[in-house]
Amino acid sequence: MQPIMYGQFFGRLTAAIRILFAIFLTCAAAQAAAGTGQDQPNLVFILGDNHNAQTMGCAGHPFIQTPGMDRLAKEGILFENAFNTTSLCSPSRASILTGAYAHRHGVKNNHTPWTGQMKTFLDHLSAGGYATAFIGKWHMPGEGLPDMPFLDLFVSYTFREGQGAYFNCPMIVNGREVPSRAPYITAEVTDYAIEFMQKVRAESRGGRSRPFCIYLSHRPGHPPYKAPAGVAGMYADADVAGVLPAHADPLWYGKTKGNVFQGVMMGSYEDKYRKYCETLTAMDRDIVRLLEEMDTMGLAENTVVIYMGDNGMQWGTHDCHGIREAYEDSLRLPLIVRAPGLVLDPGSKRRQMVLNIDMGPTLLEMAGLDIPASMDGQSLAPFLRDPQARGREAFLIEFWRYFPENTPSYIGIRTNQYKYIEFARGRSPWLFDLLNDPSELHNLMDTPQGERLLPELQVRLAKMIARSQ
Amino acid sequence: MMKRVMVPVLSVFIVMSVSYAGYFGSRHLDGGLVQQWMACFFGTTYFLSIAFGTLYIYTTAQLRGAGLLQRILASLVNPLIWMTKEVLRLTESHPFLESLYWFLNPLDLWLLSFVIMEMGLATLMARTILKKKGEEVSIFTMGPVVTVLGSLIFAISIYAWGEGENIYVFFLKGYRLLFGYGL
Repeated sequence: MQPIMYGQFFGRLTAAIRILFAIFLTCAAAQAAAGTGQDQPNLVFILGDNHNAQTMGCAGHPFIQTPGMDRLAKEGILFENAFNTTSLCSPSRASILTGAYAHRHGVKNNHTPWTGQMKTFLDHLSAGGYATAFIGKWHMPGEGLPDMPFLDLFVSYTFREGQGAYFNCPMIVNGREVPSRAPYITAEVTDYAIEFMQKVRAESRGGRSRPFCIYLSHRPGHPPYKAPAGVAGMYADADVAGVLPAHADPLWYGKTKGNVFQGVMMGSYEDKYRKYCETLTAMDRDIVRLLEEMDTMGLAENTVVIYMGDNGMQWGTHDCHGIREAYEDSLRLPLIVRAPGLVLDPGSKRRQMVLNIDMGPTLLEMAGLDIPASMDGQSLAPFLRDPQARGREAFLIEFWRYFPENTPSYIGIRTNQYKYIEFARGRSPWLFDLLNDPSELHNLMDTPQGERLLPELQVRLAKMIARSQ
Repeated sequence: MMKRVMVPVLSVFIVMSVSYAGYFGSRHLDGGLVQQWMACFFGTTYFLSIAFGTLYIYTTAQLRGAGLLQRILASLVNPLIWMTKEVLRLTESHPFLESLYWFLNPLDLWLLSFVIMEMGLATLMARTILKKKGEEVSIFTMGPVVTVLGSLIFAISIYAWGEGENIYVFFLKGYRLLFGYGL
């Protein structure tokens, strides 16, 4: 008994010292910020599109080059269990901004309009004294862009249902249409972000000191995959065996299950994947540029940088292509947080289950602002401070059918071990044991194990739905 | 009727069905060489039967003396079967009426424009064959030439307009106009 007690004692002591040290570092960072005339850290939130969580150098991908994300992971924390609550672009983006589940913010699929009835974390930061900028892909349904007068800068586009274009995308800057300034979309939006940082810095020197928050939303990861010169073709000879599943059809991209045009469409699946990776690398190059610019401006030590994807992406797993199925590849997000002063062990990973709806609470806590009750998520700050901090036990998964994608509406629960999904029509429920079957190949429904697990999961799901109303 | 129209239609239908079964059936095999070979081979024949089956059906039907309406209907049977299959696939997730709207998707429009183009080409091919057999026919007349050029221009145009993205956006707008947000 004695050695165990000593072990527990020293474990707790170490944890306490870690937390005290983290608090000390936070205070030191705040003091450093105060030296620049600023009490709150700057916040830069970078959003990727359809970015599969494994497709980063720091996640162990065999060939993709992502030095920007790798740098963030080296200087921050890589979250290995980050998920979205609704695996579709617009609902997930609305969840990120509002910190709420889709059934509460109302953007249920890519057709339902953004109403603006729920405040975004940018509203709260703006009210809290931040200079705020939304730059890049908005991509939520509705007529044009929303009215967000509190933003100091709103740069986006409505071209092609808000998907924009990789090259020469017409932009809307603070409500005014302007032509593209940089040919490639990631360079274009990054230029605006850098200019915004410079402007806020200049204002600080002029006596008006405000921290800033930039929401920088990128297009890469979304088809049609087009990379700029210098990146296009860089993975043309990359060996995708071992990255794509053995069953992935190399020749007939269009017939892979789940594709919008599942029927007849020519094109190499492997090439599509290589080009997808090229667009992510193109985005990463501009992340590198942004980070270097922050270094040059002396902002790195007082700026929290978060990189995240809006949803995951299935490349042939389960013979599926897309973002909507409730499989892990679709639900999992890439998430890296660099928070100088808050993280004791930069370069580490965290295993806690974290969500897209946690971004708002996280950024508000880092800014020292109250987290409004309207937010369903919780701050990641405890996990950044303490690797052992207790994470959530489960979360609610919800999806509403989105014509013409062939995925029925579903609702479900994902715990640390199990995933249970109920479909509105067309399919029988799924129940997977994620610890023993991480590839989700064996549906436990109608098995003795499944029958044993089902009642408890159904009760937990019902409670979770009731709690989130 | 049977020999003139049904036999060519059924031949292409059989190729299409076997290819479909071979392509999707290959997924039950391990992802080895045999599976990859089957997927590539049957994927190709599946595509050819749907996209270019008309060339064979229309030419054969014309050589066997089928009338214009018979040739047109025969050419449309297999593409329509495939399009219907895709619509039925969507009923897994969407109500039947909304699924019917999928008939208007850009890929179907593209396929139909190719089918029409092939009807024009097949007419020219059949006439060339008949002429070689000694029949007195003029190959190039206004009808098939305009059909080929018109459908080709249409097919290229809907692709050239934003590489197919704009027409897809237009299609989605039409959906929302008819069905709202689908919730």
